[in-house]
Amino acid sequence: MAEAVIPRSRAQVRQERRRALGPFAALTHLALLAWTVLVVVPIVWTFLASVKSEDEIFGDAWSLPAVLRFDSWGRAWEQAHIGQYMINSVIVVACGTFGTMLFGSMAAYVLARYSFFGNRAVYLLFVSGLAFPVYLALGPLFFVVQNMGTLPVVGPFIGLGTHGGLVLVYIAYSLPFTVFFLAAFFRTLPGAVAEAAFVDGASHARVFFQIMLPMAKPGIVSVTIFNVLGQWNQYQLPLVLLNSDRQKWVLTQGIAEISTAAGYDADWSALFAALSMAILPMLVVYTIFQSQIQKGLTAGALK
Amino acid sequence: MTHLSRRELLRSAALAGIALPALSACATPSGGASPAAPAAGVTSAANPLGLVDSRPLEIWIFDGGFGDAYAKNIHEPLVKARFPKLEIKHNTTKEIAKTLQPRFAGGNPPEFINNSGANAMDFGALVQDGLLADLTPLYDAPSWDDPAVKVRDTINPAAIELGSYDGKPYVMNYASTVWGIWYSQKLFEAEGWQPPRTWQEFLDLCETIKKAGKIAPFTYAGKHPFYIYETILTLAAKIGGKDVLKNIDNLEDGAWKAEPVTQAATAFVELGAKYLLQGTAGLDHVQTQTAHNKGQVAMLPCGSWLENEQKDSTPADFGYAMFPLPDFGSSDALPYGTLHSRPGEEYVVPAKSANPQAGLEYMRAMLSKEGAGKFMELVSTLTVVKGAGEGRTLKPGLQSASAALAAAGDNVVWFLFRKWYVEMHDEVAAASGQLMNGKLTVAQWADRAQRKADSIKNDSSVKKFTR
Amino acid sequence: MNHGRTRFVTGFLSIPVALYLIYVIAPYAQAFYIALTDWRGVTATPRFVGLENFRRLLDDDVFWRAVGHNLLLLVLMPLLTVTIALFFAFLLNAGGRGGTGGVWGSKFYRVVFFFPQVLAVAVVAVLFQQVFRPDRSGMLNAPLMALGFEPIGFLSDTGVALWAILGVLVWQAVGFYVVLFSAGIASIPRDLFEAAAIDGAGGAQLFLRITLPLLWDTIQVGWVYLGIAAMDVFAVVWVMTAEQGGPDHSTTVMAAEVYRTAFGYFKFGYASAMGVVLFFFTIGFAALALRLSRRERIEF
Repeated sequence: MAEAVIPRSRAQVRQERRRALGPFAALTHLALLAWTVLVVVPIVWTFLASVKSEDEIFGDAWSLPAVLRFDSWGRAWEQAHIGQYMINSVIVVACGTFGTMLFGSMAAYVLARYSFFGNRAVYLLFVSGLAFPVYLALGPLFFVVQNMGTLPVVGPFIGLGTHGGLVLVYIAYSLPFTVFFLAAFFRTLPGAVAEAAFVDGASHARVFFQIMLPMAKPGIVSVTIFNVLGQWNQYQLPLVLLNSDRQKWVLTQGIAEISTAAGYDADWSALFAALSMAILPMLVVYTIFQSQIQKGLTAGALK
Repeated sequence: MTHLSRRELLRSAALAGIALPALSACATPSGGASPAAPAAGVTSAANPLGLVDSRPLEIWIFDGGFGDAYAKNIHEPLVKARFPKLEIKHNTTKEIAKTLQPRFAGGNPPEFINNSGANAMDFGALVQDGLLADLTPLYDAPSWDDPAVKVRDTINPAAIELGSYDGKPYVMNYASTVWGIWYSQKLFEAEGWQPPRTWQEFLDLCETIKKAGKIAPFTYAGKHPFYIYETILTLAAKIGGKDVLKNIDNLEDGAWKAEPVTQAATAFVELGAKYLLQGTAGLDHVQTQTAHNKGQVAMLPCGSWLENEQKDSTPADFGYAMFPLPDFGSSDALPYGTLHSRPGEEYVVPAKSANPQAGLEYMRAMLSKEGAGKFMELVSTLTVVKGAGEGRTLKPGLQSASAALAAAGDNVVWFLFRKWYVEMHDEVAAASGQLMNGKLTVAQWADRAQRKADSIKNDSSVKKFTR
Repeated sequence: MNHGRTRFVTGFLSIPVALYLIYVIAPYAQAFYIALTDWRGVTATPRFVGLENFRRLLDDDVFWRAVGHNLLLLVLMPLLTVTIALFFAFLLNAGGRGGTGGVWGSKFYRVVFFFPQVLAVAVVAVLFQQVFRPDRSGMLNAPLMALGFEPIGFLSDTGVALWAILGVLVWQAVGFYVVLFSAGIASIPRDLFEAAAIDGAGGAQLFLRITLPLLWDTIQVGWVYLGIAAMDVFAVVWVMTAEQGGPDHSTTVMAAEVYRTAFGYFKFGYASAMGVVLFFFTIGFAALALRLSRRERIEF
């Protein structure tokens, strides 16, 4: 169905689409709908289970709740402190991602566009971090953070059980991927504009912040999103570094605790309610920003 | 990997003016300069252990079957009443090791830990590394209720023995757990079923229940096969005597391949093949216990914490009760009524905490008549404190367990490898799950357990214990 | 041009490199040393035992099973995810003809498919634990039992559990790659398809001769990323399965074994030795990934 390439009116497009609704199109939609169901049903089922009674949860999985009981949400909110954990997660991930992007892009830029003795070594040092299994470092890492806590002045803000300490660790552990990805990206950028700026006498730092960084925006955006998702997911590191103070816990710690909690408390509807509370804000935020997120991710990977 | 010398690292760090943090990063495991245990305060009649009330007492309670209300509402107020100036920091978690292991590593552990649950810390390793306070001063101190009597004389001596490693007490076992097969008195009375006294009667009962078709005869927490290997080992001890379990604990050659162990395993495999609740293999303890409460299954093996753990979802007139494992044959080494029971629910005081004497004092309060009696009522379990139940009202399940324990007398068996070698427990649990699912024969199962025991025996890095 | 260059390079690199050395390199360097000791967590001085831990690893069946599971995931997870994602991306773009904005509703599908990606792994693991329940209250087993079948022990049958894990991993990953690939297809100039179509190429040929070659770069990036994820699998296994990697070690992965040995058995020396082996596996994969992801582009 090759057509002449002319700007088409909306009506024409609609007409085309209607025509395209042949057998092939029907099968297409069937396949797409099947996966939609696979994605949506478990999530909806979780929401439904949160308003069921114990008997209903223990009965047939596909039965609908007779009455909507939202008391489980209250229990989950009170016992599981979901709100507090959510705020903690947002703070830590926001600071962590910002720091990662700032320092990561600085390092990546220098490594990608400046040749100096040791460049390759530093680059490899960063990139080899992609292969470090984090579990190997947990024990010694604990000491490092503890010792940082004994430093004068800054100690109380970056030691164990502080969000500051966790943020620094997040930054350090996110650098390998960030540097690896952004260095590749900076290498592909054209150098003409920067050359012109140098001729005009701009400083290196100024060229970076005012010219190269804006040019690299697609890459920056997509790596940012990667880092947000990655740090939001983290639960090993907070478990070790924020162990003693529940007030400071992040969401994944809370969820992990709830998952073991159902094993002891038998409060199934509260478990589902807590799960729903963890899922809902993420879906809302994502739905609001979905086009930016999708654009950012794809621009970075495609350019 | 590129190689950078330490000097280069330091120089580049110094360039950026961060030499200090860089040095911090060079902490070896031993670098956590742990302060020497603080000296005890002055002792007196009111303060026999010499706790210092200017330093806080940090408490960590495992949030499991017992919850943590007993600490908050019973024991902490008791201590607070005698030491009003002492600040008590109460914490609770379901993941003891995950949460507190790093605190030990950092040399700043809390004063008191209820080391329990699926994620408990390895006692063997803690003792081996000298991280636990010796409880001898506590047991030799005058008791809370009567200064003329030592603490050690107010409790079940088995509790001290079980908490001892190399002859020194490091762990306080507080609650006495009794294991058995649990059922609903109401259901059994309504159907006219009797708790079986012989293995044949047990099989007949399962058959009767199955034929009735309303309810499955038997289940166990398939996701945690400990529940089934516990019954297998208890039956093995009943058939072959106390030494069967002693040999297993002591990692003796061939201990797992002994005839009584094989017989017991075979018996439960045959029972499981016919009479298990559908889907048992994938259910956890809460799911099976809920099914039990909902009348979907008649019997399950469990410890005496069951009644309390299920208190929120048990029908009012359910009437928990338990029976001991039936006689297997006429040649059983131990008589009818033999029980797997031992003082459990462990509490420890970390030696390197800032105020270990406060932890010991807290234990002394727990071992008072009031502390133990109220605990019994609240969480519905037996304690190691003699006569703590006098004048307290006990729930039906606890009455049943209490009576069974009294009837058992000296015919009480237990095993400790679960505490001593967590690896051994994991392997036996994994193999037992497969055994019950028909993926392993009894011989293969015994083989795997024995192999693991042998490998622990030959592992020089693991400290061995004997009893 | 060279004015201030050295200062700039040093200044820009110092903070990231310092953070990285302190928090990443230093702990790992120590872990390599600990792997040569029998340290059990907290004693003052670990005893040096040389390569004893590695010798012991050679006959550690469970660990090698874990390695096998990781390798299986390393092959299957990217393969399945990329295949499914390509299929849907192709459908979304109306048979892969670029530039048309895709089939009716394609925007909606892209948004929904991406949902699982924004959920934390811990959440997904707990969710599927409930979905896979082995009785009538399990979402999948309920209809099976209603039809009179035996329930499937998704997480309790040693032959099934690892596939359940794989399913969850793929379920979570597909959406992201659908979005990625369909953006890739959309960015292919329409006239390439036009020209090929005029030459009489059918849908399948268009896909094989135009869509796939032009997407190859993107697919590689996705493959590398998924591979790293497969080596790092931990949370799903740890939170969702019985016996944390069970039943009977049938779902365990290297990361879980390292964690269990360290924090469950307090064998930090032995766990570090496992970690070192895991480290060489992943570094091998990363080296491979670096070779593959050189950004050679087809210009259009």
